[in-house]
Amino acid sequence: MNNNRETAPQIEHLYAINQILVHAAGWKPALEEISRMVRTFFIFDNLVVYKADIQNQNMEVVFARAVGRGKKAEADISWGEDIANAILQGKQLILSEPIKENNQDRLTSPHILGLPLLISNKLLGAIMFIRFGGPYFTESGVRLAQYIANQIALAMEREELAQSYSLLAEQDRQNQLKEDFISTITHELRNPLGFIKGYTTTLLRSDTTWDQQTQSEFLQIIDAETDHLQELIDNILDSARLQSGQLKMNFQYVRLDAMLNDLLLRAKMNFPELSIKVLIPEKLEPIIGDSRRLSQVIENIISNAVKYAPGSVVQINLSQDQNRTVILIQDFGPGIPAEYIPRLFDRFFRNPDQSPTIRGSGLGLYICKLIIHAHAGEILVKSKLGEGTQFEIILPNHTSEIMTSASSHERVI
Amino acid sequence: MTLILAVDDETLYQHLLKVNLEKEGYEVITAGDGEQAVEIVANRNPDLVIMDVMMPKLDGISSCERIRQFSNVPIIMLTARGEEQDRVAGLNAGADDYVVKPFSATELVARVRAVLRRAHSTEQITQNRYFVHGNLKIDFARAEVWKGNKPIFLSATEYRLLIQFAQHIGEVLSSEDLLVAIWGPQYREDKEILWVSIARLRQKLEDEPHNPQHIVTRPGLGYIMPAE
Repeated sequence: MNNNRETAPQIEHLYAINQILVHAAGWKPALEEISRMVRTFFIFDNLVVYKADIQNQNMEVVFARAVGRGKKAEADISWGEDIANAILQGKQLILSEPIKENNQDRLTSPHILGLPLLISNKLLGAIMFIRFGGPYFTESGVRLAQYIANQIALAMEREELAQSYSLLAEQDRQNQLKEDFISTITHELRNPLGFIKGYTTTLLRSDTTWDQQTQSEFLQIIDAETDHLQELIDNILDSARLQSGQLKMNFQYVRLDAMLNDLLLRAKMNFPELSIKVLIPEKLEPIIGDSRRLSQVIENIISNAVKYAPGSVVQINLSQDQNRTVILIQDFGPGIPAEYIPRLFDRFFRNPDQSPTIRGSGLGLYICKLIIHAHAGEILVKSKLGEGTQFEIILPNHTSEIMTSASSHERVI
Repeated sequence: MTLILAVDDETLYQHLLKVNLEKEGYEVITAGDGEQAVEIVANRNPDLVIMDVMMPKLDGISSCERIRQFSNVPIIMLTARGEEQDRVAGLNAGADDYVVKPFSATELVARVRAVLRRAHSTEQITQNRYFVHGNLKIDFARAEVWKGNKPIFLSATEYRLLIQFAQHIGEVLSSEDLLVAIWGPQYREDKEILWVSIARLRQKLEDEPHNPQHIVTRPGLGYIMPAE
C-alpha cells in the first residue's frame, strides 16, 4: 500500500456507508462491511473499537481487525490502547503520528488516529484507525474517519437502546402480570365477600321481613359464595405451597379406574347438566401417584370445560403402554386462540378475550402443571378455534424409588 | 313510582340491589354495563342511578360523565374498599354519593333514601339527550355527532370542544377559557393548538368551513356558537 492509493472520499462513498449502516443487523457487521469497502480509498492496517466503561474508567476492546501490514504480528503490535485511555479522559480526537516516516520497521512506528464515539457528549467508546509506517493522515481522511465514527456511535447507541428497551419491556410484562394478579385476586376475593355481606345483611334487615322461599334463596347464594371463597383460598395456598415446595405429594399406588369413578360421581353432583364420556382400557395397571392431587388436576380441567365450553360433552380417554399412562380430556367448545396457548399454564394467566363475568384466578392450570411435574409427568394442550380443546396428561409408569426422587427434586424448586 | 336504575356487571349485585330496593317500594331496573346504563337514563329518565365503577365497555366514571352532559339525575357510585381514587374520580365526574363494597343492605337503603330526599328538594332538570344546532345534532348519551343524517367522527378532544360550545350556546368563549377547560391550565397560552383544533372541527362540521355557522370567530374576544 502506498500514498497514491488514498483518494478523497466522494459523496457516493458517504452514501454507501450510510446505506450499510441502515441495513446491517448491527454495528459490528456494518463496521465489517464498511472497513472492507473504505479500504479501496482509505488506508488502514488495524481497526479497533473500544467500549467505554465510564463507571470503572476502563476501555474494553469490542471489535478488532488486522487487515494490512499488522496481520502476522498479532498482539505484539500497537492496537492504540494508550490513545483509547487518553480519549476516555479527554473525549477528544487524537492523532498520534511519528515525526519522520519510517519505512524500515513499519510495525514499530504506527500512525494512530483515535476518535471518540460520542452521542450528545456522552462517550460510548473510541475507534482507532492504525497505519504502520504511514502515510500521514490527510485532512479529508480524518473527516471520513470522523464520519464513520459518528455513524458507528449512532448505531451503537441504537443497539443499546433496543437492548434496554426489550429488557424494560420484559420487566414491564412481569409487572403487568403481577398487577393483573393483584387486581384479579382482589376482584375474586371481594366479590364473594361482598355477596355474603350483602345477602346476610339483607336477611338481617330489622325494618322488613322476607318470606321463607326468599330467605332460602339468599342463604343458598351465601352458601355458594362461601364455597367460591373457599376454592379461591385453596387455590392461592396450593400454588404458593407448590411453588415453594412445601406441598408434599402423598405417593401411593393409584387405581386410575377407581379414581375416575369417584371423580365422575363428584362431577355429577357439582355439574348435574354436564355429560362426561369415559373410555378406559379393560386392563389397567395401577400407577404411582398422589390420587387426591391427580383428581384435582382432572377436576380442574373439567370445571374449566364447564366454564369455558358450556354445553359441550367432555370426553376422557385413558390409555397405557409399558412406559407411560396417558389421560386425554377433550371438550368441543369454542377453543382457545393459538396466541394464548404458550402462556396457558403460566401463573395468573387468563385468556383476556373471555367475558369478565366468568370467574377465575388464573391459578388453576398453573397448579395442574406443578402437580403433574411433581409426578415427573407432562401436561400438554391442543386447541382449535370452533372445534374444542384437548388436554393431554402423560404420566410415567415409575417405580416407587423414582417417584421419591422426583418429588424431592420438585421440593428443591 | 320512584324508578331506580341499578348498574353492576355482576348479576348477584344487580339482584341484591333489586330485592332490597323493591322492598322499599321503588321500581328497579338493572343494567350490566355503562353503555346500557347511559342509554336507559336517556330513555327512561330514572329518579336515581346506582352504579358500579369497574364495569366492561364503559366504566362507571365515564358513564357518569356522559350522563351529566344531559341529566342531573342523582348518582350513587359503588366503589371498592381502599380505592380512594375511584371515589374522588366519581365525585369529580358528577356523582352525588358513594357506597363502599362490601356494603350492608341497611346502609345502602339509608343512602338511597337520603340522596332521593336531597334530590326532591332541588328541581330535576333533565335536558334532552339530543342537542340540535342547524343541521348539527349531538347525542349526549352515545357521544355521537351527526351532520344531517351523516355521522361525523370526532376525536375525544374535538368532541369535548364541541360540547363546550353546545353547553354555552350564545356565549362568547375566550381562547384561554377553552384551552383551560379542554387541555388544562398548563396550556393556557397555547393558542395555536386551539386554532388548529377549531379549524379541524369546522372542516368536519361546517358546510363552508370559511364561512362557519356553528363555531364563529369573534375577533379579539374568542369564539361563539350563536343562538338560533
